[in-house]
Amino acid sequence: MIAEALVRQRWWIALAVLGIAVLAAVPFVLMPFHVRVGQLILLSTALGLAWTLLGGFAGYWSFGHTAFIGLGAFAAGLFETTVLGAAFMRANPLTGLGIGLLFAMAVCAVAAALVAWPILRLRGIYFAVAMLGIAQVLSELTNSIDAFRGSLGLVFPRIAAFGLRQEAVFYYLLLIATAAILAIAFLVKNARIGQGLAAMREDEDTARMLGVPTERYKISVFVLSATLTGALGVIYAHSLGYITTGSVYRTDFSLNMIVYNLLGGIGTLIGPMIGAVIMVLLTQVVLGSFLNLHMFLTGAMLVALVVAAPRGIVGTWQAWRRRRHGA
Amino acid sequence: MLAVQTILDGLVLGGLYALAAVGFSLIFGVLGVVNLSHGAIVMMGAYLTWFIWHTTGLDPLLAIPPVMLVLFGFGYIYQRGLIQLAVDRSSLMASMLVTFGVALMLRNLLVLVFSPDFKSITPGYAFSFLRIGGVTIDLVRMSALGASLALLGALAWVLNRTRIGRVIRATAQQELAARLCGVNARHVYAVTFGVSAAFAGASGAILGIVLPFSPPDEANWTLNAFVVVVLGGVGSPSGALLGGLLLGLISTGTSQLIGPAFPNAMMFLILVLMLLVRPAGLLGNAFAASR
Repeated sequence: MIAEALVRQRWWIALAVLGIAVLAAVPFVLMPFHVRVGQLILLSTALGLAWTLLGGFAGYWSFGHTAFIGLGAFAAGLFETTVLGAAFMRANPLTGLGIGLLFAMAVCAVAAALVAWPILRLRGIYFAVAMLGIAQVLSELTNSIDAFRGSLGLVFPRIAAFGLRQEAVFYYLLLIATAAILAIAFLVKNARIGQGLAAMREDEDTARMLGVPTERYKISVFVLSATLTGALGVIYAHSLGYITTGSVYRTDFSLNMIVYNLLGGIGTLIGPMIGAVIMVLLTQVVLGSFLNLHMFLTGAMLVALVVAAPRGIVGTWQAWRRRRHGA
Repeated sequence: MLAVQTILDGLVLGGLYALAAVGFSLIFGVLGVVNLSHGAIVMMGAYLTWFIWHTTGLDPLLAIPPVMLVLFGFGYIYQRGLIQLAVDRSSLMASMLVTFGVALMLRNLLVLVFSPDFKSITPGYAFSFLRIGGVTIDLVRMSALGASLALLGALAWVLNRTRIGRVIRATAQQELAARLCGVNARHVYAVTFGVSAAFAGASGAILGIVLPFSPPDEANWTLNAFVVVVLGGVGSPSGALLGGLLLGLISTGTSQLIGPAFPNAMMFLILVLMLLVRPAGLLGNAFAASR
């Protein structure tokens, strides 16, 4: 099935490779501020894609995915400061980040696997609210248990490697992560599991009756989505340099992941990418001067989207094309 | 004595939880909508009361009726103008997203208007208390519990004894049949939402007397309401009262026995366990459709 998809979608794949190549040149051309906006666009795109693995493909909408951003960030941060130590981190920051990243991904995978079985028995709004609860509780525990240093904060060393400035290093890290997540999402969508998930999203009971191992599929995709989100959390935390509970356990992250997908079109790969680019450009560049209104504006955007275009840009475009061909 | 004190504090908190959750439960039971902006409406009530008390010096308990009136209007317009639109145009899931968006908008507005600092309402009798044996009875907390119970009783009376209450219950049971009997279902939905917002506002006023509050608390109040409904059942003041009191006892018990940082984690644990083991709630009428 994957081989077929590779042939069928060869133009899209060529476009994606070309796009990544073009994006790789950005730090050499643009100003540092624009590189930072680029970082944010890449992070948002990758988060949208990681969310869509579960929310778009399986139809399980998580309202608390920021739980894994925070979990990843704090797992890596605590591992780096307590196990590796500050001296090691200062000497080889990039290796340290790599080790922290692997550790955090393992933590996220284990945590997701532990909660997956009970929580994925819930459907629809019940699953969504349970995830919201998980995010809330993790953030509160991080904040109030002294050992996690959530209120005190964690410091990450500066990383400037290969003769690149700090923002360029993180730009490339995020570019690699985005490309990897896009590739993973493509594979999942077109493999047997992707077909099974699509069947599940339409009607879980029927899919199960027809022999789709729904339980196994949804747990694997939940763990995968959580691990990738955690990895992004690690990179994001390092790019900030200093984190507290509030800077990684952010409700607006959870919300934005949904907004990107909703704006672009749920269940597609291109949808969350379009959504993320539009939203970041809109909120950071156009509305950059209204920082204290950000939450208000994302909320308003979400409301407007649900009411005006519930199927997103891709869905609306497809409907328009179908109507034209049908008529 | 410590045990008695813990139970007493738990009941006071429980009355507040029950009042804060009853509107959430009503909306879920009648409209089928999970209102994630419920906590934000509770906070609106708290800030409105604080504003009235701060500017005019009116007793916060006396400020409850005007606050309820304002929030009834807000809830009516909110449902009729926005939530109904979202339900019509896409789905119930989409309406939940809309309420999530509105919750963030309200939280942001409250931060802008009132600043993110903690506020508290301290009327003249704030620090007077009775001491019976070794148990301290705080007068403010007792009046808060009394007000909560009185308001819950009033809502139960409205739902069970008045015409509009009968219409609301009929619409919740069978929308189509109610409409065939001449009920304007849209109006009833909006009224239900308005009533729910009014009671959320009243609970906000009482919350302001008992605890300090700040805008980000809204997420906790929404989650609390959810847990109360899972424990007690959907759509009835008595279910909310049972769930609320249980939650209050669990909450103070956890702070007392395990540590003050853990009540929310414990509540969430109970939420997930209940959803898994008994999604229909203790009384058997909540969330039958959760899986």
